[in-house]
Parts: sequence; structure tokens; C-alpha cells
Amino acid sequence: MSSIERTIETPKDKQNRHKAMEAIKVIKSIKDDFKSPIESMNYFYDLFERVYCKNEPLHEGKTKVGTMCIQIPSEIIYALDGVPIRLCNGFYTDDEIGSDLLPQKACPLVKATVGHFASNNFTDKPDIVFSPTTCDQKTKAGAIIKNFGYKVIDVDFPRTKDSEGSREYWRKSIKQFAVELSKFKNKKLTKSNLEVSIKKIGYAQSLYHKLSEYRKEENVPILGLDMFLITNAFFFDKIDSWIDAMEVLLKEMRTRVDEKINVAGKMSPRIVFTGSPPIFPNYKIPLIIEQSDALIVADETCSSNRMFNDMVAVDEWNLYDMIDSISDKYLKACTCPIFTTNEDRIRRIIDLVKNYKADAVIYQAFAGCTVYEMEQRSVLEAMEKAGIAILYIESDYSPSQQGQLSTRIEAFMESLKSRKRKKK
Amino acid sequence: MSNLKKKINNMNLVRFRFWFQIVAFLLIVYGGYIGFDLGDKLPTFACVYNGDFTGGKCYLGMLQHDLNHHWETFLGFAGYAFLISLGMFMVWFWLLNKAWCGFVCPLGTMQDWITAFRKKLKIRFSQYDWSSRAKIKSIKWILLILLLIIPVMISNSIFGLPTLPNGLSMPFCDICPGRMLIPAFTGNFSQFYIDFSSKTEIVMTTLGMIIVGLFLVGSFIKKRFFCYFCPMAALQYTFSKPALLKLYKDGSKCTKCGDCYRACDMDILEIADDVTSKNLVTEDCTLCLKCVAACPEEGCLEANFAGKTIFESTKEGFIIRMAMDKKGELSEQH
Ligand code: SF4
Ligand code: SF4
Ligand code: SF4
Ligand code: SF4
Ligand code: SF4
Repeated sequence: MSSIERTIETPKDKQNRHKAMEAIKVIKSIKDDFKSPIESMNYFYDLFERVYCKNEPLHEGKTKVGTMCIQIPSEIIYALDGVPIRLCNGFYTDDEIGSDLLPQKACPLVKATVGHFASNNFTDKPDIVFSPTTCDQKTKAGAIIKNFGYKVIDVDFPRTKDSEGSREYWRKSIKQFAVELSKFKNKKLTKSNLEVSIKKIGYAQSLYHKLSEYRKEENVPILGLDMFLITNAFFFDKIDSWIDAMEVLLKEMRTRVDEKINVAGKMSPRIVFTGSPPIFPNYKIPLIIEQSDALIVADETCSSNRMFNDMVAVDEWNLYDMIDSISDKYLKACTCPIFTTNEDRIRRIIDLVKNYKADAVIYQAFAGCTVYEMEQRSVLEAMEKAGIAILYIESDYSPSQQGQLSTRIEAFMESLKSRKRKKK
Repeated sequence: MSNLKKKINNMNLVRFRFWFQIVAFLLIVYGGYIGFDLGDKLPTFACVYNGDFTGGKCYLGMLQHDLNHHWETFLGFAGYAFLISLGMFMVWFWLLNKAWCGFVCPLGTMQDWITAFRKKLKIRFSQYDWSSRAKIKSIKWILLILLLIIPVMISNSIFGLPTLPNGLSMPFCDICPGRMLIPAFTGNFSQFYIDFSSKTEIVMTTLGMIIVGLFLVGSFIKKRFFCYFCPMAALQYTFSKPALLKLYKDGSKCTKCGDCYRACDMDILEIADDVTSKNLVTEDCTLCLKCVAACPEEGCLEANFAGKTIFESTKEGFIIRMAMDKKGELSEQH
């Protein structure tokens, strides 16, 4: 026998192999388990496969600016010739690595993010990381990552958003952020480069809005899972490729709507998804929902809708007003649970239910995410008052417990369907 | 019809207002020249001191004049005349509500021009902090009360106080920047003077000069600087509830993003933060509709005339106005 090359699998290879397995399993499910697949979604399936299974870097030669939450303005990063990479992580493999470094009960998202950094195994390694002080765990994670030797810069984020003080405070933080990045890149932020990048991101967001419009149709042409892929791709994709893919997708959607193609059934419950963010490949709950003959028609999460909903609005297109507008966009409209009150979030969920003619809300909280867990009660009460059915689910990244969750979700869907039938 | 609606909702409000204000300015400041006359009960600063040129006259000037009578005459003919004048003023006002300020008032327009000039120079505007902003609100009411009481006190003794000198018969006109600035546009600079005929006149006309200076400098620094103190705005607001033109908000659609607030020249916090009221025409609002144009939420803010929506916030309109409807290229590299 010829000598078989005996390679010992390094920890990195093992990590990559496990992650690829996680990734491909989810991509396959989305691709194959549902009826009426969308052709132009292949761009996104391929993208995730390229990045997470084949470890293909997308931004070689560019400055990669890592962000730990949505509050770091991509507008400024692009204007300074960087590429924003959102590092919120959804891999169970990384979650397990992170578990050794963080408390048992920590949020899986944070554990996975820290685990990813600990492994120092990136296809597009961030050159600098900005960490907004949002939830406690993210805040502390920034410091832990810094200890691994990465260049991490904290960006002060206030915990209230209605006061004059918090607005000013955040505007200052954003200016400071711009200064830091500008120094790092050795490039000046100007009226013209910022204006162009605001409009570019605005355009990308407008495409998301157009796509969302189709989800209001009676025959919904796209799965919630596909939507999560599309929005998650924005974490790391080349913005121009993303835009091109969206333009193609929108054309296909138009014809699908004209042909009345429905990815679910006539009686399938329409769901608004909220709570802890589904981040690829942790689509555990959305997968169960859509495999239970229900359809996610809208979401209120920071990994998806919240990234696109609010666009920067500028009154005077000069640098001073653009920067303030950007700051306000990331603070004022944000419905993050780390803020003291959550009325804005509740109003938003109810509005989504109304606009997307949803039958119910599903609220996911990661075990360990205190803020989403704590907000649960007030959201449940508000939904009850508004007569909206809601299911609260605690979940994590582990592949176990699948059966128990399916049973609960299926039962919920059955009750929604029988209610729907009675109405008819 | 729905096409027209879409066109309106997608319009470039800034441009529309710019031209509307120019036309209104021309009619009010030069209209008399071509025989245009809207009467003398206008809810806007169409200044009487502009003589034959003016295309209508300001009710605030009229009002001070009307109030300078003895009690007895008020019970008779002067009283009726006063009520009829006030009624006429209200009818004019109800037509446009505070949009007289956002679209017609020559003083408002001048301030917007000064703002445009500042913008060109890329100089940042200033803002009051919130507590000062709240305190300032009362000044226009104090001015309004003074301009109502002083003329009455010239002809009448109130609470046994001595009557006021005749030099105060038009107390607000003395200090109104309109008196000097509006005629200046027709080449008439005769109002730039200090009257040495009496102590009262010296004080009042000097004050007037100072206020014109403040008006010019102030509105360069602060958008609509003068409007924050304007007694006309206070008088208008007293009658605002039944007006035909309204600014409505559907709070359930509001994300409190604050885009409207940032666009608002009057720094009206409620426009973003109030999610329960329907009528959002607040005391300082000029119904300029900039907030509607800046709101990205479908149907959240709207201008409504007599129950009909005439212009409302839409996503599409927002995207077009922000020039986010085209792909564009990032500078240099991409
Ligand atoms: S899910 Fe909760 S704990 Fe985890 S990062 Fe988000 S806010 Fe923080
Ligand atoms: S001076 Fe002012 S208040 Fe008096 S009439 Fe002229 S514009 Fe009106
Ligand atoms: S507030 Fe006064 S000065 Fe300002 S636009 Fe209105 S009437 Fe004119
Ligand atoms: S712009 Fe619209 S959505 Fe935003 S705060 Fe104002 S009214 Fe609310
Ligand atoms: S609230 Fe709206 S209409 Fe009123 S002044 Fe402000 S921007 Fe103009």
C-alpha cells in the first residue's frame, strides 16, 4: 500500500470540520426541506458554504473592522475604507470552546464569540475590534478578548435613550469611534466619503425593505429562514455583491408574487419572531417553527430586522449633521433589551403583527441572556392586552432538547391553526 | 389618483417649500405694486410700514391699534369692530393653521434664507439645551400679553395705575424686526432710526434696532431664532385647535427614531417622543412639514386638510428624499 499521508488533525482543523458540519446541515435543511425553492437564494447558500465550509476569505487585503454589536456604524467604517465584520457568533462548536473561558450560565452568543476569538481561527481576521458597552456580558467579553491580544476598543453606550444626556453621550462616543478608526486607518473622514457611504447603506437597507413588503402578501414568497440567511450575510459579505444578489432576488420575488407562489400552506400560522438573535447556523428555533408548517413573516431581532429597519436621516448634509444623524440612528430607534424601558420594542412588535398580518409572536431568549429573560414578562403582558398569542421559548446552541422544543412549538401551531379555522 | 398621491408623498419638500416661500414672499412684500391685497387681518407679518408695496397687512399691528380705546367705546362700535377683525383673522388663520409660519411669513422665510446661507458655509447650527428650550416657551406669551395690555393702558387706567404715554401705542411694532426688514426689501430704509422725541420712543426704537441685529445674527446661529419668541405664534396657537390644516401622528407606528425631531427647526421634542397624541400641532410648530418628510415610517406622520390626508410619511418618499434609491459607488476603492 502506498503510504497514506498521516496528518494529525490540529485543533483548528477539528474546529473547522465541526463548524462546517454545523453549517452544511442548516444550509441543506433550508435548501431541501421546503417547497418552491427560490433560485436566486443560491447565491446566499453558496456564500455561507464558501465562508463556513470551505473557509474562503472574502476581504483579503482590506482592513477588517470587527464589531461586537449592531451599534457600531458601518457607515463610518465604509467611509474610512474599512470592511465591517459583525462578530456575533452562532456556532455551537465555538460556544463549547468559549464555555471553558466563561461562566457556565453565560449567554451562548457571547460564549461562541469569545470562543471564536480564543481559537484565533478566522477566515477574515479582524484587524481591530470595536466593542460597544451594551449588555453586561458583551461588555465584559470585550475585555476578555483584549486579553487574548487583539486590538479591542470599547465604545461607550448608554443604558437609557430618552434623556438629553444619553443622546449627547452617545454622539460623543461615535465621534470618538470615528477618530480612533480614522487614526488607525490614517484616513480622514470627509463630507463626501461619509455621504456616499450613508447613501450606499441606505440603498442596501431600502432593498431589504422592498423584500419585506412581499412578506405582507397573503401568499408569502419567501421563508423566514431565507430572510435570516440574507440578513446574516450582511454581517460579513462584500456589500456590492450583497446588493447585486438582492437585486436579482427582488426580480424573482416579483414574479413569484404575480404567480401567487406560497412557501407555506394557506392555513399556516404567520409568526413574528423576537428576542435573542438567530445567528447562522443557530437557526434551531426558526427551523422548528417553519418545519411545523408555520411561517416567519417578520422579526424583531438585532441580527436581522433591527439592522435594516432604521436608515440614517440627514437634514443638513454636512459632516457635523451626518455624524449626529448616524449616532441617533444607532441609539434612538434601537429596541435592544439592555435599555431601562422597553415600550418602544413592544410598540414595534405590535406594529409588525398588524402590518404583516401575523397570528402570533414567538419570543426566544437564550439561557443566560438576563435582559431578554427579564423583558419577557412585560412583553407577554402587553401581547395579552393586545390580544396577540405569544410563545416564550428558552433556548441555547446545543443540539439536544430538539424533541421537547418541537413538541411545544407544534402544539402551539396546532392551537393557532384551530383558532384560524374557527375564524373562517 | 393614487398615482398623484404617490407623487406628492415622494416630493422633494425642501424644494417645494423653497419656491412656495419665494412666491408668498413676493406677493406679500411686493404684491401691492400689482394691486394685490389680502386685507389687514393677516395672521402673518405683512408689515403695514411697507406702505403701498404690501400685499396685505399684519393683524398684530391692527390688533394693537384696535385695543387703544376707552372702555366705553369698546361696549359700542369699537367692540364690534374688534370682534369682526378678530373673526377675520381667525378665518384666515384656520385656513392654513400654523403653516402661515412655515410657508408664508416673510420673517420666517428670511430666517430660512439665512439658514441656507449658513449651510453653504458648512457652519454648524446651535441648539438650546432642553431645559432652556422649555423656559423660552413662555417668553412669546409674555410678549403677547404685553402687546395686548399696553395699548389698553394708554387709553384706560387699570387698577388705578396712571395711563401710559402715547409713544407706546404700537409697542410690539416698535420692537418688531418686520418693521425695519420688510420695507428694506422695497428699498425703504426709513424705519432704521432712533426716535428722540421722547424717552419712551428712545428706549423702544433702540430696542427695535437691537432686536433687528439679534434677528440677523441669531438666525444665522440658530434656525428660526426669532420664531421661538414670536408673539404672533402665541396668538395663533390660541386658535389652533379648530383649524383645517393639521399635523397628525399615529403613535403606534412611531419607532421614536427622532428623525423628525432632528429635522425640526423648532426643536420640538414631542414630535418624536409623544406617541399618544394625534394632533401634533404644538405651540411652536410652524407646520413646515419637514418632520413628515423626514419620517421613515409608513403613514406615521401626516398633513391633513379638513379630514383628508394630503401629504404623509412613506418609506419610499423617505428613501427618495435621502437619495438612497440608487446604488451609487463608494469612494475610490470599491
Ligand atoms: S443575547 Fe442577550 S446576553 Fe447575549 S449578547 Fe445579546 S443581549 Fe447580550
Ligand atoms: S411692525 Fe411687525 S407687528 Fe407691526 S405691522 Fe409690521 S410686521 Fe406687523
Ligand atoms: S413664528 Fe412669527 S416670525 Fe416665525 S414664522 Fe411665525 S409669525 Fe413669522
Ligand atoms: S420620524 Fe417618524 S418614526 Fe421617527 S420618531 Fe419621528 S414620528 Fe416617530
Ligand atoms: S413639528 Fe414638524 S411641522 Fe412643526 S415645526 Fe417641527 S418639523 Fe415643522
